[in-house]
Amino acid sequence: MFLQEAPADTTIYMIAGYAVIFTVMVVYLVSLYLRRRNLEQDLEVLEEIGEGDS
Amino acid sequence: MIPVADQRALEVGERQAVRENQLAGFLRALSAVVWKDLSAELRSRELLSAMVVFALLVILVFNFALDLDPATRRQSNITSGVLWVIFTFAGTLGLNRSMAVEKDRGCIDGLLLAPVDRSAIYFGKVLANLIFMLVVEAIVLPVYSLLYNVNLFQAGLLLVTLLGSIGYVAVGTLLATMAVHARTRDVLLPILLFPVVLPVVLSAVKGSTGFLDGLPLNEIRPWLNLLGAYDIIFLAVAFMVFDYVVEE
Amino acid sequence: MEAKPRLLTVLDYITAALFLIAVGLVFLYAPLEAVMGNVQRVFYFHVAAGWVGMLSFLVAAIAGVAYLLRGNRKWDTVGLSAVEIGIVFAFINIVTGSIWARPIWNTWWTWDPRLTTATVMELIYIAYLMLRQGIEDPDRRARFGAVYAIVGFLSVPLTFYSARLFRTIHPVVIGTNDPNAQGQFNMTPKMLQTFMFSLLTFTFIFADLLWHRIRVGRLSEKVEQVRLKTLQ
Repeated sequence: MFLQEAPADTTIYMIAGYAVIFTVMVVYLVSLYLRRRNLEQDLEVLEEIGEGDS
Repeated sequence: MIPVADQRALEVGERQAVRENQLAGFLRALSAVVWKDLSAELRSRELLSAMVVFALLVILVFNFALDLDPATRRQSNITSGVLWVIFTFAGTLGLNRSMAVEKDRGCIDGLLLAPVDRSAIYFGKVLANLIFMLVVEAIVLPVYSLLYNVNLFQAGLLLVTLLGSIGYVAVGTLLATMAVHARTRDVLLPILLFPVVLPVVLSAVKGSTGFLDGLPLNEIRPWLNLLGAYDIIFLAVAFMVFDYVVEE
Repeated sequence: MEAKPRLLTVLDYITAALFLIAVGLVFLYAPLEAVMGNVQRVFYFHVAAGWVGMLSFLVAAIAGVAYLLRGNRKWDTVGLSAVEIGIVFAFINIVTGSIWARPIWNTWWTWDPRLTTATVMELIYIAYLMLRQGIEDPDRRARFGAVYAIVGFLSVPLTFYSARLFRTIHPVVIGTNDPNAQGQFNMTPKMLQTFMFSLLTFTFIFADLLWHRIRVGRLSEKVEQVRLKTLQ
């Protein structure tokens, strides 16, 4: 078997990995939020138009 | 008054007659669908000629793209791989055209009006598509054998090709029926089909390689089992969901 | 628009708390792995994300069956939401898998069964969206989506099995010292706890996101309905 070496310094890969995880999740959350906001605005506009007609 | 025992016997007899009638009706519808496709193809030969020419062209492209020396070219894994790439792409062509013709000419609507079990239509299409694919394979295999001096006419390899084609066509027919409704119909079918049909392609290639290498049967058997399982599972699933795919 | 249920707000807080704790465990509690070093910490969320990817797939398939049997459009929304979340987390799974592979095996990619299957799953998800995009009739779109979710879901175990069979017959030597390297390491109890907690956390994340996404989906349908009525 081999000697007990110190663990490899792979910190930079860990950072890259977590950067991906956090970024992607945040992007998705933001997209959900934006989609909701746009839909609510659309709904307001449509309801105004609806009231304007009647 | 008919005695009760005789009445029961009559009922059982009636039910059996109905079942036999249903089976006969089913088979009749199935063969009607198959025959419709085959005879249409015999007359025009559009589909088959397109598939065959395409397959031969792919062999040509591979010959130059993978400019391998004769020894490497005859390696079993290269042979199996190239063959299945050809079958996969030519198969897509066939499926696409087969379903597009149905839709464009409104044949599906006509078929659906008939008082038959929808699954008869599905199995009919699968059988017809399978026959087309087998015809193409029957042409490609000898051509490839001649060009590269490989004997592809071994029982094992033919079995693998058959099982693989069945699985491919079972799922492909179902997905093609859906894809044909989309605007991007031609390009959508491969996108839908390839990820799902991977186990078939993988197993078919490894199985073919095994037979070409003359490996003992129990080493090849896992691949054959996988092919068989896939075929059964997806024929069953497609049979169950086809109704939902064709309803208007 | 439907008011936000209190339960969802509670779920939001629980999920956020779990996530913070999980991050703490990963960076502060779990020990440094003896051979791989820090990159091994990626493993906790890498597997958890993969778990969410598979869970999403299952939910999408079940929603598909439910839609076909019941015809209630709500199931279609559930299926679509699950697929979307699955795409996000399968993507995280694949990319972190690649990042982990690089220092360990000196390669950006390895066709090992799990990574291969995750990629195939991602492609099926994307194909699902493309199928839906191409169909105009909403009912047909829902039906086709349901069918494809079911077919796709059933194919994944077969793909995994065939990829694994491929591997056992052709063990691939991936350019490092250990020819059988599959990124295995022995998990100490602390690692195991962190791992299980991450799985739990991500399951909550899945449920939370799914609920939110379903609400957005329902809002979207409502807007469509109002739009059709108003523009008449």
